[in-house]
Amino acid sequence: MSPKEQKPDASPPRWLDKLVERFCAPHLVEEVMGDLHERYHLRVRRFGQAKARKQYWREVLAYARPHIFKRRPSPYPKPIFTDMLRNYFKIAFRNLLSKKFYSAINILGLSIGMTCCMLIFLYVNHELSYDKFHSKADRIYRLVTDIKTPTETIKISITSAPMGAYLKKDFPEVEEVARMYHRSVLLQRDEHQYQEDQTLFADASFFDVFDFLVLRGNVRTALVDPFSVVITEDAAKKYFGEENPIGQSLRMEGSFDLTVTAVVRNVPSNSQVEFDFLISMSTLLEKLDPDRKEEWGNFGFYTFLLLPELTNPEALEDKFPAFMERHISGMREDEMYYSLFLEPLRRVYLYTGRGGPVTGSLSNIYFFSIIAAFILLIACINFMNLATARAAERAKEVGIRKVNGALKRQLTIQFLSESILLSLFAFVLASIFTELLLPAFNELSGKIIDESIFYEHNYLLLLFLLALGVGILAGIYPAFVLSGFQPVSVLKGRFSTSSRGLVLRKALVVVQFAISIMLIAGTVTVYTQLNYMRSQELGFTKEQMLVINFRRDDKVMRQMEAIKNSLKSHPRVLSAAASSSTPGQSNSGAFTNIENPDGEMQASNIHLYSVDFDFLEQYQIEVVAGRSFSRDFPTDSTQAMIINEAAAASYGYASPEEAVGKRFSQWGREGQIIGVIKDFHIRSLQQQIQPLTIRIATNDFKLISLHIEAKDIPSTLAALERQWSALVPHRPFDYFFLDEAFDQQYRNETRFGKLFICFGGLAIFIACLGLLGLISYTVVQRMKEIGIRKVLGASESSIIRLLTKDFLKLVIIAFLIATPIAWYVLREWLADFAYRIEIGAGVFLLAGLGALLIALATVSWQSIRAALANPVDSLKDE
Amino acid sequence: MRRSDLGEFEEIVLLTVAVLTPEAYSVAIAEELEQETGKNVSTGAVHASLQRLENKGLLSSHMGEATRERGGRRKRIFSLTLAGSRMLHEVRDLRNRLWDRIAPQTLPQINMV
Repeated sequence: MSPKEQKPDASPPRWLDKLVERFCAPHLVEEVMGDLHERYHLRVRRFGQAKARKQYWREVLAYARPHIFKRRPSPYPKPIFTDMLRNYFKIAFRNLLSKKFYSAINILGLSIGMTCCMLIFLYVNHELSYDKFHSKADRIYRLVTDIKTPTETIKISITSAPMGAYLKKDFPEVEEVARMYHRSVLLQRDEHQYQEDQTLFADASFFDVFDFLVLRGNVRTALVDPFSVVITEDAAKKYFGEENPIGQSLRMEGSFDLTVTAVVRNVPSNSQVEFDFLISMSTLLEKLDPDRKEEWGNFGFYTFLLLPELTNPEALEDKFPAFMERHISGMREDEMYYSLFLEPLRRVYLYTGRGGPVTGSLSNIYFFSIIAAFILLIACINFMNLATARAAERAKEVGIRKVNGALKRQLTIQFLSESILLSLFAFVLASIFTELLLPAFNELSGKIIDESIFYEHNYLLLLFLLALGVGILAGIYPAFVLSGFQPVSVLKGRFSTSSRGLVLRKALVVVQFAISIMLIAGTVTVYTQLNYMRSQELGFTKEQMLVINFRRDDKVMRQMEAIKNSLKSHPRVLSAAASSSTPGQSNSGAFTNIENPDGEMQASNIHLYSVDFDFLEQYQIEVVAGRSFSRDFPTDSTQAMIINEAAAASYGYASPEEAVGKRFSQWGREGQIIGVIKDFHIRSLQQQIQPLTIRIATNDFKLISLHIEAKDIPSTLAALERQWSALVPHRPFDYFFLDEAFDQQYRNETRFGKLFICFGGLAIFIACLGLLGLISYTVVQRMKEIGIRKVLGASESSIIRLLTKDFLKLVIIAFLIATPIAWYVLREWLADFAYRIEIGAGVFLLAGLGALLIALATVSWQSIRAALANPVDSLKDE
Repeated sequence: MRRSDLGEFEEIVLLTVAVLTPEAYSVAIAEELEQETGKNVSTGAVHASLQRLENKGLLSSHMGEATRERGGRRKRIFSLTLAGSRMLHEVRDLRNRLWDRIAPQTLPQINMV
């Protein structure tokens, strides 16, 4: 077999050979390449060149095995990975020490930035962790209802008692159903008597669905018998101290005893289901209110379904209409249609639009994540700016290193290791700051974030990687710029900062200040909106209104007139009124038929206040048409209703007067509308004023409002409390001030504003740190120039102008960029409020001016110092 | 060295080395196996097996002469060590013992045409 002459293009693909030579361990290259080529030529001869080439890459790929890549251990040490790296860090450390001012600015800026990031990360993590701790969380679904009336569809998060019960009976694919019913109850043991707001009636299956750690007692049976109660650790301590609570009893509402059957660990802060006490559902549905068991229209229950694995919830949902048809077709009340849906538990907290016991805000998460990223970015920009500004200083060093044989890559690694070292310092500081600030942050954000998360490896690793990432991000540009210097030009002394670097630096400063201006504008807007909502005319008197909550206590309701009169007898109480709700508090919604302008009865679900004869007067709610309730008309307490303007409008009446005298039927009462009141805000200004009906009903009271004199409120309170406990010994004196309670509705917005102000302030602070570094550097660089200018007769003010002008220009550009973006974002934010301020130019001018002043203040200190310096000092040597 | 350490492909490669000695090197082995099995056998796979077998002490190798097809590169020529040959014998004995113990008529008859 004589080998044929090979044409040059008969050789296998060149790039594949290169690949093999690059990756194959050197001691194997010869045999591997030889094998490949020999085989290739065999194949060329056998199948022709085209096919051989095609097969060649497969042959090459077959060598992609660890033993091919693995290099033989070298007999010589490799100093690049040990000594040089150590040397880089040593040099970096020395550099940091020798430039204390810059290092301090950088480390401070970075560590503040990282602290913000860590805190926000903790917050976001907490928000995302809701309900994760239930081991079956991904199989739990919340049953929710849409109520369709002729006029609207109301989406609610609650269900009625039979819905859950019959679902379990009718659908074998439903593994478990747990219903919950929230009620505030009065509990008592010996001298301990408290109104417990966090009390749930819960099905015996509660613990099969949810995971709450049981400390004592048997959960299987804990919630089976009527009058059983499961309590949390804290509740046990509160009522029983160190005693064993199991088997002991708690008196509920002063009328019957509950037996403690189990103690559970306190509910974690990231749980949607919150409780201190769990009373067996049988207590409610067998003993207290047995009718409710079959009342399909009586809502108030949260129902959770546990489905087996791999069940498609939509397939189950599809069967719900038939299910409802089967059970309530005959008893459907008027024109209300109920349809049921399922919501995955893990989505309820953040994504549901229906509300719930606790819900989070997805937009807040986005907002704060973005702010965290911004703040970190600002800190990184500081580093980049200062590092490139100092390039001239390091240029000689780079030159010498290169002359001595340093490669560009090695220098890049050296500069990167400097920035990484810096960011690791900052990381350590930031961890300490975060740990220290966490309690304050919890206070501010209203969350309970456990600090134990600090000791989780994953979390720390993640943050460490973040720090590393920040170091690389901040250092990569300067590292490339610095390592790219040509030694010849640098060492000749012909070095000057490139204009490209200058432009970039300016651009970065602009970005920093644009972000700062946006944050200032945001803060101003949030606060203006909050103030606007607080100062807005609400349509009723809210000052000096003391409201006593007796929680629908029957005994109190029966003696209402006597109690009111007794309280009124106190000289500082101006008037008293009883009602089912007050503005800012939750109220019932009632299914109501009202005659519309066409003379037909039209149905809708409408807010309802039950009041007494004194309520409207005490709250100074204005009647715009017809008349107010009056004791002179005996029928007022049985056949009369007052509606607000919004209700009149929603039924199609052009003016309030037209609505007067129209017929209504509501909750078993029929009669006529006797008057229309001016709209007042029963909810926060985030919401439009909704239709409201008001009627006299002495059996539906929950609150007593007292209008008291402003002076010496503590002593009035003390006197009233004494009086109350004499009148109603079995009820604690549970009160609030209406204005404070109303403001509570803005709690979230207030928090948002405070967080905004903190983070905005920090962002500006970090930006100023950077600016300070830059100006001081510029001053040092231009020291001689300033000296010469002064010698030639320049005035101090002209020098200050010279130095500050450039920076102020940047702030103005930043303002121009920031304004439209901020305007857009803020408009979106304000869109959530039904009653809102207009965003005027004022906000942005204020923000821009603020940023300008802050920048000016930062820059002027250094520039004034430079302008005042004696030129002799800067010019004498050389 | 336990028998279980010898994979099926390794065993076949080991045998092929024995067959081809003294001219056993990866390309020859791969070609031989392709002919015998009718399947594609890459030199990469063979190379990996050979190296494993050499690490186990079943093969030894030396560099052979260079040829034109190899672009002037030398080839690595393999031969069985004592351990390798004992291993082959053990494997064969085990198989034979098992074959001998199969009762007649147990295996479904296959028409070998």
